[in-house]
Amino acid sequence: MHASYVLKRLLQIIPLFLAVMVLVFVLVRLIPGDPVSTLLGDRATDDIVARANKELGLDRPVIVQFGLFVLRMLHGDMGDSINLKVPVLRLIGERLPVTLFLTVYAAVLGVLMAVPLAILAAVRRNTWIDGLIRGVFQLGLSLPVFYVALQLLTLLGARLGWFPIGGYGDTFGEHLYHLFLPALTLGLNLAAVLVRTLRSSVIEVLTAEYVDFARAKGLPGRLILSRHVLRNALIGTVTLLGLNIGALIGGAVITETVFAIPGVGRLLVDAIFGRDYPVIQGLTLTFAVIVSLVFLATDLIHARLDPRIEHA
Amino acid sequence: MKRLTRVTLALATALTLGQTLAVTRGGQLVYGRYADSLFLDPVLNDANLDIWILTNLYDTLLQPTNDGKSVQPGLASAYTVSADKKSMVLTLRPGIKFADGSAITAADVKWSLDRARNPDNGAWNGLLESIASISTQGNTVTLALKHPDPTLPSALATFNAAIMPQKLFNAAPGANDAAKAKAFAEKPVGSGPFVLSEWKRGSYMVMKRNPYYWKKGSDGKALPYLDSVRFEIIPDDNTRILKLQAGELQGAEFIPLSRVAELKSNPKLNMVLFPSTKVNDIIMNNRPKLNNGAPNPLGDVRVRQALNYAVNRDALIQLVTFGTGKVMKSFMSSATPLFDATQKGFPYDPAKAKALLAAAGYKNGVDVTALATSGSADDQALLTALQQMWGAVGVRLKIEQVDAATKTARYRAADFQMRTGAWTDDIADPSEITGYYAVSGATDAAHTGFKDDTIEKLFAQSQQETSRVKRASLYRQIQTRYANASPTIYLFETPYPVALAKNVQGFVQIPLGYNLFVGASLEK
Repeated sequence: MHASYVLKRLLQIIPLFLAVMVLVFVLVRLIPGDPVSTLLGDRATDDIVARANKELGLDRPVIVQFGLFVLRMLHGDMGDSINLKVPVLRLIGERLPVTLFLTVYAAVLGVLMAVPLAILAAVRRNTWIDGLIRGVFQLGLSLPVFYVALQLLTLLGARLGWFPIGGYGDTFGEHLYHLFLPALTLGLNLAAVLVRTLRSSVIEVLTAEYVDFARAKGLPGRLILSRHVLRNALIGTVTLLGLNIGALIGGAVITETVFAIPGVGRLLVDAIFGRDYPVIQGLTLTFAVIVSLVFLATDLIHARLDPRIEHA
Repeated sequence: MKRLTRVTLALATALTLGQTLAVTRGGQLVYGRYADSLFLDPVLNDANLDIWILTNLYDTLLQPTNDGKSVQPGLASAYTVSADKKSMVLTLRPGIKFADGSAITAADVKWSLDRARNPDNGAWNGLLESIASISTQGNTVTLALKHPDPTLPSALATFNAAIMPQKLFNAAPGANDAAKAKAFAEKPVGSGPFVLSEWKRGSYMVMKRNPYYWKKGSDGKALPYLDSVRFEIIPDDNTRILKLQAGELQGAEFIPLSRVAELKSNPKLNMVLFPSTKVNDIIMNNRPKLNNGAPNPLGDVRVRQALNYAVNRDALIQLVTFGTGKVMKSFMSSATPLFDATQKGFPYDPAKAKALLAAAGYKNGVDVTALATSGSADDQALLTALQQMWGAVGVRLKIEQVDAATKTARYRAADFQMRTGAWTDDIADPSEITGYYAVSGATDAAHTGFKDDTIEKLFAQSQQETSRVKRASLYRQIQTRYANASPTIYLFETPYPVALAKNVQGFVQIPLGYNLFVGASLEK
């Protein structure tokens, strides 16, 4: 793996960034409804709406607004939220760590559940254990996230009182405690995806010739599993995990609402309903960068796991 | 007999005294809100989310009473209106202070009101439009008026007329008023019963008691009773209720009406339906032609009346509000001052509706389309029920679901035929809702396009009529004329559903929506 490859991939993010910038700028202005009259709702007179739009520069031609937006972005300024009247960058700075914490937590829980169970299912394939594992996760995949979230809240939160109902907490330990149920909700969904792929790739590798060879060499089963089987089976799974991190951030929108977590998912929903253009733009760009970085990281790990993958 | 009365009275007094003395001081009340405040400036704020909190942080010269129908002294202990009704003199309470301990001066009052009535500032300055100039002397403030204004006391009791500390505001960073307001609103200091001590946007907000607050509690000591109030932001209705049931919250707002009965039967909770000024209606486009040039049957008053007669409001109240609503008899709520109790409203009369439709030339029925807010279970239930009721008289209703922002954009552009609508008063006076619903003015009568010259004249008169009796008569005429013209379809009034833990006492949400924690306490 070369540093120049990483650099090249990082540079590729720039045109993507520009494209997302133009797209989201145009798209949010194409949907009907403007921030001011949405916020003022039933009460506002046309005069008041017009005056507020003028103050915010929303009465200027879209191309001028875009120019100003790009100019500001070049100075590292995403503008101020129209509804909350604070800098978008600050809002994202406050909220993004929460969503990232939740995403990583969910990914860790998902992997911790998926890997051993997938291997178990593969090793004991076509037994009742295999059937049970696959059945449970199939169910996890077909149930909507908000439903699972509410069930977990009702049972483990309200009825048994083991976990707090929603919130985020102040310290690292509190974060772990408060976010356990939402992370579990997202993790279950992720594990359901991972178990299926990982199980079939473990089965595939288990029946490969080099595993037979290793076995013939007399290597102990556990070593075969960890050194040969898992390493090879994980290649597809890592890609899938990378792809799903993007989905996890998307899934956070619902989870954050149900569990009352102050992350960027909820910020985005509020911004879209309130037509808060600067916040929508800023968040979309942030998501684009994060997803690009995750994909890059996925490719790098992929290459690490399988040295045959060449990066020219 | 006399002696018995006296004994009973003494006993009763002793009992109430005993009760009032027993009010517990201290503690933190945790309250679940469905969304966070946006911007805590009394003058430049835009949404109910702010308004309903501001009254805890800021105080006004006068205050609305808890029934939302009149005003009581606030920072001003008294006010007098001159004989010609062209000026008002307010006397400030002695020794009043902001939450940082600095004195509230008449200069602060003048500066705050001048800022609030500046036409360049926000959406609310119109409420103080009648003030021509403000002068101060000692602890009195004199408002010179452009014309007699019966709404002024209520306007001075409204959030935007809050008194702010001029020096602290000016010391905030920023080049102009708007920039300073942004900075100041992050750490606002007012003279309300509480002061903001912590705010994590989207997560929680903590208000601590203002040690300098002027109002006394029933125990003779300064209010509020609570040490602090913590607002947790929980957008999901179910989660809010779960948290309340688990004891993590002592109060939660916006309980869905569908769950009121269930929470009422919970012995640990006190499910309260506070009277509100909220009205729910269907707002119609009254213009003879729709935006696309097609003729609009709703331009005919007979069709609009027919639709009003074809609504079974009692059934709607059961179906949509689960029995918690109340039939509307005027465009304003029965909790709005000068609501005319003699209004007949529209009794359910499908035969009359059919006859009116036939007279308008729609013997074979008529097609109408209504905009609904997507994702709103209430809108869905309401319009589906109306579809049935109107179907019985030959009106075919098509429901079009759009998100709230699209809906607003469409009705503002007159690009709609019908839409669901709701309203809550912000001021203890009928002029606000009348200005929006019945008068063409700047909002085109709730964007219906309706205009009635007589109503315009009556309203203009009512805005300068200081005799309450004469003003009531003007409002009676307005309400009757409005009903006959039927620019909207009155449906039902709904309360504010708030669920509280059993030990919470003294919390009030007044009909204007303000959440008052000033007299709230956590009993042991």
